[in-house]
Amino acid sequence: MKKVLAILLAGMMTASALAGCTGSDNSSSGGGQESGSGSTSKVEGGKVDESMFGDEKDISLKVWAPEKGVTLAKKQVEAFKKMYPGVSFKSIEVVAQGENDAATQIVNDPNKAADVFSFPSDQLNKLDTAKALSPVSKAFVEDVSKANAENTVKAATLKDQKTKEDTLYAYPETNDNGYYLVYDKKVVSDEQAKKLDTVLKACRDKGKEFIMDCGNGFYSCTFAFTAGAVIDGFEEDNETQKFKEFDEDAAAETLMAFAKLMKEYKGTWKSLDVAQITSGFQNGTLGAGVDGSWNSVADQDALKDNFGASKLPAITVNGEDKPLISMFGYKYIGVNAKTKFPRSAHILAYNLSSEECQLQRAEELGWGPSNLKAQESDFVKNSPVLQAIAEQSANAVAQVNIQGTFWQAMGTMGNEMLKEGWKPDDKNATKQLLNDTIKDVRDE
Amino acid sequence: MIQSYKLRRTVANILIYAILIVMCLIWISPFVYLVLHSLRADGGNVTYNHLIPREYTLDNYIALFNVKGAASINFPRWFLNTLGVAACSCVISTISQLAVAYTLSRLRFGARKKLMNVGMILGMFPGFMTMIAMYYLLDAMHLTRTLIALVICYSCGAGLGFQISKGFFDTIPRALDEAATIDGANKNQIFWKIILPMSKPIVVYTVLTTFIGPWCDFILAKIIMGDVRDNYTVAIGLQIMTTPEFMQGYFKQFLAGSVCVAVPITILFLRMQKFYVEGVTAGGVKG
Repeated sequence: MKKVLAILLAGMMTASALAGCTGSDNSSSGGGQESGSGSTSKVEGGKVDESMFGDEKDISLKVWAPEKGVTLAKKQVEAFKKMYPGVSFKSIEVVAQGENDAATQIVNDPNKAADVFSFPSDQLNKLDTAKALSPVSKAFVEDVSKANAENTVKAATLKDQKTKEDTLYAYPETNDNGYYLVYDKKVVSDEQAKKLDTVLKACRDKGKEFIMDCGNGFYSCTFAFTAGAVIDGFEEDNETQKFKEFDEDAAAETLMAFAKLMKEYKGTWKSLDVAQITSGFQNGTLGAGVDGSWNSVADQDALKDNFGASKLPAITVNGEDKPLISMFGYKYIGVNAKTKFPRSAHILAYNLSSEECQLQRAEELGWGPSNLKAQESDFVKNSPVLQAIAEQSANAVAQVNIQGTFWQAMGTMGNEMLKEGWKPDDKNATKQLLNDTIKDVRDE
Repeated sequence: MIQSYKLRRTVANILIYAILIVMCLIWISPFVYLVLHSLRADGGNVTYNHLIPREYTLDNYIALFNVKGAASINFPRWFLNTLGVAACSCVISTISQLAVAYTLSRLRFGARKKLMNVGMILGMFPGFMTMIAMYYLLDAMHLTRTLIALVICYSCGAGLGFQISKGFFDTIPRALDEAATIDGANKNQIFWKIILPMSKPIVVYTVLTTFIGPWCDFILAKIIMGDVRDNYTVAIGLQIMTTPEFMQGYFKQFLAGSVCVAVPITILFLRMQKFYVEGVTAGGVKG
């Protein structure tokens, strides 16, 4: 009798556990898709039909935005509420949460985290592995894909773990998370800023420095990418970094050209942290630098009218100009898979990623939009920083699907090339260095 | 070899002092740097080309305590949060820790030895191992993201730290207890009226350690507080000031904040210091 009871109880427990699983699964992934079947028309420019909210009532949502963006996000949320007078919102709360920490916080406790949140592209994998993201609602996929720059959409399109279909996992928010050339117009002319050797020469002639951080993989991967050793997601095992095929001789020559410049302009080319760039401009010791888009306001303040910005300068290899290829990230708006109001959360995320909202962010926060129409707007066209960033994004590798081993290995390569005693003319040593670096990245 | 004893002593002293001075400089330089740069007026926020600042100001401290609008960097609030949590945990922990120590030192009961061993073994587990479990338990009680949760976590296990106080109580002669019992005191009265007044050094020690623990704790507070910045403690607050998002604007304030953190501990220590000397038990029993 006791045994029977035990078996019954155990059976009940497993049944309830399983029921719990399927139950939560339905509410998380199904919600978004249902809203697709509700209505097929009237999905454009961030607005949808009120019927798409379905039967969701007393909607309460939490939105995460970085400190700087909270005020604007609050305004945008209020506008969103006014857009749908027939829908009953209980509250939409905007809470400050740094983007650099967003994925960690979501994964830690998805139930207490935000329903709609902003995050940088390099966290996409982490969020995907933890199944923390609810994919973009089917009703919005077409409009989102059409409205935003192709690279941003492509980078957020991953294979669904179950169905193996290409799925868009987040709404593009910006197309600006990269670095570009900042220069003091008194030192470097706009014409000189087009090529790396002329930039360095101009700096040296005026006794100023040039900063590019060669020991930080985020910046020094530019050398490998420009040489042709470009990363291309993961191998079949979903772990090992894949590289596109490239010509080893040509790659070595490009790297040698970089090393030659480093040697020739020793003392001018400083490998320092980007934080030194703003203070370098303030102190007047710096002519130009490769700086991140997030520092552009500080750099502009330091240089005022002499602020110059352009895409990264080209390098001359065997008489041929090669554009520098950099690492480039995007920011996305994601929807928490555990949200209690999936329909509303997706509609809000869709709205926050619309042309209007992106343009407001460009104007108030200086964030480069991913929306194609917003990119064409007068404001973005007239901003030298946003223009430089947009141009560089055309020559860039997306910061997604990157293995943790990548950064250190690329940083080491940059440091090796910069080291005293490195021979820029030694082709075999350069080839060896590149191969070693790739091996380190692939952890072989 | 040097023949003169005096000379030998002088040389040895010089050597010893030189070594001590070097060690002292290494040890104290971060504190000096912290204080000097928290008063720095010139230069950018993070980067500065001189080791010793050239211009000084109190602006960093004023800015730290002058919170603008709804900014999520709210140091005064974090400071009060931490002070409240640390004070509550300190009172609860001190009483429970001393009571446990007194019980295990004076009373004899069946599982005494076993309980002491269990306490010893539990104390050997690193605290952060149980933090995830603690988080989910608190979540079940709807207490995550609150300051009460911190007080509960910091003070509930405090009794396990009884060893040192028990060792101290063991040195107080039992004759005192017996004398008090003859006079009609019960165990509770003995604890409060006889033992505690004679154990001031250990009380002070317990108060200090149980205050500093919550005051400086980072990991647990970080896990529990999540995105509720209003409930942050100084430790997590100072940490988010050094994240890339705030680093550029708040670095000097971070330095100022780090100096301010030392203030309550210093005051507490100075107030309590004299009891270290006063609480001498010798001579409690005559004849």
